[in-house]
Amino acid sequence: MRIQRATLLMTIIFIASVVYIILYFKLFIPTPEQEHNITVILKEHNIRSDFWQTVSAGAEAAAKESGVNITINGPLQETDIDAQIRLLEEVLEQKPQAVVIAPINDDRVTAEMEKIQEAKIPLVIIDTPVSQNSAPALVSNDHFTAGMQAGKVTLEQTKDSPKSVIISDFVNSGVSAEREKGVRKALLPFSQSVYGTYYNSDSEERAYIIAKTIMREHNDLNAIIALNESAALGAAKAIKDANKTGLIKLISFDTSVYEIRLLEEGTLNATVVQQPFNIGYLGVQTVLDLLDGKKVKPVTYTNSIVVTKENMYSPENQKLLFPFIDK
Amino acid sequence: MSRSRKSASFIPFLPFKSIQSSIFFTFSCLILITVMVISLNSYRLSVDAVETNSQSYVQEIIKQVNSNIQSYIDNMENISMLAMTNKDVKYYISNNSFISKGDRRPYEKRISDLFQAILYSRKDISAIMVFGYNGFSVSDRRITLLNPYTKLENQSWYKEAKSKGGQSVISPPHVQNIIQNEYRWVVSLSRELKSTDGIRGEGIFLVDLNLSIINDICSKINMGKKGYVFIVDNSGNIVYHPQQQLLYSNLRSEPIVKAAGAQSGTSFTVDDDKGKRVYSVQDTNFGWKIVGVAYTDDLIANEGTIRNSILLYAITGILFSLLLSLFLSYRMSKPLRILQRDMKKVERGNFDVRTNIEPINEIGQLGRSFNLMLAQIKNLMEEIIDTQESKRKSELMLLQSQINPHFLYNTLDSIIWMGEQKKHEEVVLMTSALAKLFRASITKDKELVPIRVEVEHITNYLLIQKMRYDEQLEYEIDISPDIMHYKTLKILLQPFVENAIYHGVRNKPEPGKITIRGREQDQVIIFEVEDDGMGMTPEQLEDIWTVHDKQQKTKTTSGIGIGNVNERVKLFFGSMYGIQIQSEPEEGTTVTIIIPKIKE
Repeated sequence: MRIQRATLLMTIIFIASVVYIILYFKLFIPTPEQEHNITVILKEHNIRSDFWQTVSAGAEAAAKESGVNITINGPLQETDIDAQIRLLEEVLEQKPQAVVIAPINDDRVTAEMEKIQEAKIPLVIIDTPVSQNSAPALVSNDHFTAGMQAGKVTLEQTKDSPKSVIISDFVNSGVSAEREKGVRKALLPFSQSVYGTYYNSDSEERAYIIAKTIMREHNDLNAIIALNESAALGAAKAIKDANKTGLIKLISFDTSVYEIRLLEEGTLNATVVQQPFNIGYLGVQTVLDLLDGKKVKPVTYTNSIVVTKENMYSPENQKLLFPFIDK
Repeated sequence: MSRSRKSASFIPFLPFKSIQSSIFFTFSCLILITVMVISLNSYRLSVDAVETNSQSYVQEIIKQVNSNIQSYIDNMENISMLAMTNKDVKYYISNNSFISKGDRRPYEKRISDLFQAILYSRKDISAIMVFGYNGFSVSDRRITLLNPYTKLENQSWYKEAKSKGGQSVISPPHVQNIIQNEYRWVVSLSRELKSTDGIRGEGIFLVDLNLSIINDICSKINMGKKGYVFIVDNSGNIVYHPQQQLLYSNLRSEPIVKAAGAQSGTSFTVDDDKGKRVYSVQDTNFGWKIVGVAYTDDLIANEGTIRNSILLYAITGILFSLLLSLFLSYRMSKPLRILQRDMKKVERGNFDVRTNIEPINEIGQLGRSFNLMLAQIKNLMEEIIDTQESKRKSELMLLQSQINPHFLYNTLDSIIWMGEQKKHEEVVLMTSALAKLFRASITKDKELVPIRVEVEHITNYLLIQKMRYDEQLEYEIDISPDIMHYKTLKILLQPFVENAIYHGVRNKPEPGKITIRGREQDQVIIFEVEDDGMGMTPEQLEDIWTVHDKQQKTKTTSGIGIGNVNERVKLFFGSMYGIQIQSEPEEGTTVTIIIPKIKE
């Protein structure tokens, strides 16, 4: 009887200690938390491109805030379609949990994106909308509204009597088309406000020639709306050459060191600036929401800011024009 | 059992019928409550401890950041002191009139050299400049080209320094655009330089600190995965924030007012959709507040682990203790159950039960008391049985020793008749036989007598009967001499002989014979009383026994019944001994009496 009881107690204690030890080791090897892995593919991943670097900073900020791992990739040049396709193929192989992409406008890229969607990987498009059947969620600057803002600035600068031309890059450029629509909408109430739209094929040289020609043709011209940087730089050169700084108002989009200089000297009267940081940030946030199973808006627009010489050094705009502290 | 409802449980509020369940239930409740309270408490305490730890950790980090930034600012301050006290600088900006650019040049060069020397040693400084109110300016560059589109007077650092009159002014981070083609993020320290008499202001001194220094300090600190540092000034403007753009476009909010109003060295907690986080605030002595933001789930990365492990421990503990309490309650109530089982046996009439309860505790003692009680009860019962038996024996004895009065009258009648016939010898013989018979029945001292004595007795009896019935009765006594010395009950055979005469031989027209035999067989002695009389039908035979079952008083005709003799034998010698009767009508009856061998 005594022996029996002792054995019973020993057995219980033994089982208890075994359970204890198992639990001890199971519990104190911290089970790695399930981490999200997100891949971001940009149009251009190049330290020279302030815009895309800012987008990537925004994406990183969102990733850090949510504690997810992020990989940011992109071709070195915005024109390198093959590189982006290669990256997308890699993504398909690696199968990250979510993908954010700024696609280069090309059918092959769209096809790759459809493959990603078929693989049930949450996908969010930033910056450039694509024409696709089941289009993924889009986070983009509202180019139409930006165009409207540019139009309104033109009105302000020309004291509501605009006689302008629009210099765009390509006929088929989606972004430029949207901007143009916005500009025209803002200027529509004023008769003879837009003499026409010209295309510089993204060449500063051509923009210069175009601006020169127009200035010659239209004596009452008081505003040039340049839908991209090259157009703005070419037009600015033409205005300066014609000594018409201040007489012909130059309104442009986006920002670069050259545009900033033009803004400071007064050749460029206003530029409508996107918020790339926000695009990157919201892009990642949207894809995280998708991962969490939340409903997301099909399109999220970010705002543009009109920067003039007067407000370019305000705390907010400094950050937009000079996004990087280290430069 | 009828009281079981009333005493269903030994503790009124526990609805259990067994002590084991009650003990188990009580133990389990106690264990559950204790484990739960302890687990909850330890969880809370450990989380509290981790939280406090992480808060002080964050405070510590912020202090580090603070002193780092402070040292850079102090350095700028020192550089400004150097410039202020430098004679060349003083002279250069003083209100004197240089005749020509050539006159200014040596001063400019010397000042520039000085600034350059400083700049070489300090990588964190991006520019050092002096702007005299006289319109001259000199910087660390050999040739200073100012941005033609920037008006000095509009720069906030310039205006601030001028208005502060000699005190140094720290600007918020801004893009320094005073130098042509240079756009750098800096923090500027500016102060007005006074004339030698210390009254008039003569120029503005500027030192620019690369903002990347502060950016590095702030972005390299490690406060968990999501933690970060931001800086506000006293009026609540953001000086530095890793996500300044988001704040400006209202995609993010930060409790800046609260942070700006917070005391240095304090912390506060914000819990919103972004998660619970701790804000720790440190003042610098130049008007900035450094705020460290740490996410609690980041710092307490193992909060979930703590909770899970405590939960698991609690569950294991509970399971283990439940098993233990099951075992203990079983052990504790086991002696009670043994006792109960043994008592049930006693209830059913088995008084030989002895309960054996191992531990010598209250229940063990109870068991021992129970055993003692049982032993006493058994003794008492045996005593009662003994008393009853001896009472019955003496009753039967009494009955036996009584001489049937009819027999006595008849015998006396016979004696008288023989006396009248002058048969003296017969009278003497019969009287002496009667006397012997009487003596035998009167001697009460001994129940058991040697068979010899019994044979004598029956011989006397038969002698008397033979004299009475004469030709009618024949008898033979055939007792083995080997058994003569064994003992038998007194007056054992007489009732059967009497029955044989009265019921068997007397009613027979022809003479009858009674044979008495005695012999030993194995361990018993067998007597047979055989007659060749009327015999009995099975009904009559049955009647003999049934009569015996009824009260003795109803039949008195033949003195004592056969049943009584049988009972007497069994009482004395045990139930395996007794009487058997075999009878055939018209043939005769044989009574067999079996008794044990009892030596003298």
